[in-house]
Amino acid sequence: MIPDEKAPTELVKTPASADPAKAVLKTTRRDFLKSGGMLSLSSLVGTGALMAQTGDAKAAVEWAEHFQKNYRLMTKEEKDEARARLERRYSAEYGKQVTVDTTDAQPGVLMGYALNIRKCIGCRRCVHACVAENNQSRGKGRPGEKIEWIQVLRMERGKFEQEKMDHGYPEGLGIQVGGNAYTPAGQVLEGQYHYNPEKVPEADATYMPIACMQCEKPPCVKVCPVRTTYREPDGPVVIDYNWCIGCRMCMGACPYWARRLNVTTPVLPKEEMNPVTHYLGNRPRMRGVVEKCHWCLQRSRHGRYPACVEVCPVGARKFGNLLDPESEVSKILERKNVFRLKAELNTFPKFFYFYD
Amino acid sequence: MKKIAIYATVLALSGGALYSVIAAENAAEPAAAAEAPKEPIVCFESRKGASEITQQEIKPGWPNVKCSPTTGAALWYGDPFEGTVPMGKMPGLEKLPEGHALVKPRSGKLNILPMCGTACHNGVGPQFNPPKLPKGKKPTPIPTMEGLVPDVKDLQHGRGRIWCLDCHHTTKRDKLVDHFGDPISFDQPQLLCGKCHGDKLRDWRDGIHGKRIGEFASNGKKRWFTCTECHNPHNVQDGERNRGFIQLQPEPSPQLPKGMANADHEKVHPIPNH
Repeated sequence: MIPDEKAPTELVKTPASADPAKAVLKTTRRDFLKSGGMLSLSSLVGTGALMAQTGDAKAAVEWAEHFQKNYRLMTKEEKDEARARLERRYSAEYGKQVTVDTTDAQPGVLMGYALNIRKCIGCRRCVHACVAENNQSRGKGRPGEKIEWIQVLRMERGKFEQEKMDHGYPEGLGIQVGGNAYTPAGQVLEGQYHYNPEKVPEADATYMPIACMQCEKPPCVKVCPVRTTYREPDGPVVIDYNWCIGCRMCMGACPYWARRLNVTTPVLPKEEMNPVTHYLGNRPRMRGVVEKCHWCLQRSRHGRYPACVEVCPVGARKFGNLLDPESEVSKILERKNVFRLKAELNTFPKFFYFYD
Repeated sequence: MKKIAIYATVLALSGGALYSVIAAENAAEPAAAAEAPKEPIVCFESRKGASEITQQEIKPGWPNVKCSPTTGAALWYGDPFEGTVPMGKMPGLEKLPEGHALVKPRSGKLNILPMCGTACHNGVGPQFNPPKLPKGKKPTPIPTMEGLVPDVKDLQHGRGRIWCLDCHHTTKRDKLVDHFGDPISFDQPQLLCGKCHGDKLRDWRDGIHGKRIGEFASNGKKRWFTCTECHNPHNVQDGERNRGFIQLQPEPSPQLPKGMANADHEKVHPIPNH
């Protein structure tokens, strides 16, 4: 994107003095530091060149990754290079042919999602399909090792009756309309997603799956200090994992609890790893980076439904092109009662809830 | 400290025993792995008892489907079009390119269907000589059918106001029937269900009701789930269900924050004796 011709000339330029002879004779502190810096840089580059030639795919790739640009500023060649590098690394690491896709947004596509809130039975198949597709960490032992992008919230089917006014969740706090001092309204409590009945749907519950809403005005993008998360032209908000510094600003900014941090080194067994990946999508992440739903970019960029849509046993999940008036999401917007979660925050999600 | 000491002794004592156990398990594992491929993993797709899919590797490291170890449900599709056939003529879907609307044939899963027209309703036998077919659609008890298909014993579809021959063909018993008395294939139940549930048929045709997998573009190649893959037409008013769906076992719940065994504390008011 940005032409690189100027950079080398600036580096060899002599310091401030107008007289070249003087400049050669007088060695300033700045010169010293600069030459020292150049020396160490050249030695680093040399080491890098040496390391790149070693058989250790991981070491070579890690080295190259340190000098990689933000994905949005990378040229086509740099992207291809990064892609080849990662494919080599992942293939060695997971013992199978892994592909890292770098397909860009397709023209004429704006992805949209709709979910039928009346149909959801809370079976969590979408949650686990997402994990199977997107290479999340799936450890069982330590906290934070198991990462799921979709949360299915269980909600009481409350009624506004005089005698039931005290029966909300948590018990004794009453039906929560505006929240209270102990549990502010909108707070997701652990018990709301940690339901574990024998069978679902339960008679007294409704279920509401939440994940990244792929906002048109995403608060997470606004706060990212390294500009590593951004909205792609076809809709999804994505993360360049290599530039993520793990500061968790986006996690705090997101009103939908959609983002997850890899607190530990991700646990991803070789045999469970999905070898079809996208650079901005489901390629294996490292420790200390944030990840979230990206509408299965590795699938949807090639026209395929996201994994959660395909496994929903009740067909509550719908996905389509908002620019196509014939797509199922457009038809839903046209015909059904639709709402966006927390519409008052002006985040303009492209994830719509609807009911028959 | 005392506790730690006790634990340490127990650990030291059991260490030896544990080692031998682990060694035995390790020896047993390869044997189990060798046996495993013989038993194919079959998972159900939408509801139990309807369409099923057998797990197999289609490319190295790429299965056609991933099944849930907990519930046996299909969790991920590597190949969305496996075992599908063209849907056939469907009013309203003429604009779709040829071969882009696929369905999984239902007839393969209906166990007694191959026998229907040959073993019993074959036009021969004592009750068909001379052939006597039902004159009207008035319900009559049929113990044999009730034995074969227990769901029909108390058929609640239409709140008891419809009967077998409203949906099944009078003479061609391996077919369904449309409004004109013409047969409909069991693989195209949408043509039958749409007779009454027209609004649902319209939503299904537009992709709003029901489920489709494959390519998301409106004219893309998709596998359409037909009515009976998700709904059991003989059992629509079952007491075991809530809101239209048969209850099923959920997948495991997510990890709780560190040190939290369950979320029961939330149900209690934070101020005691409130």
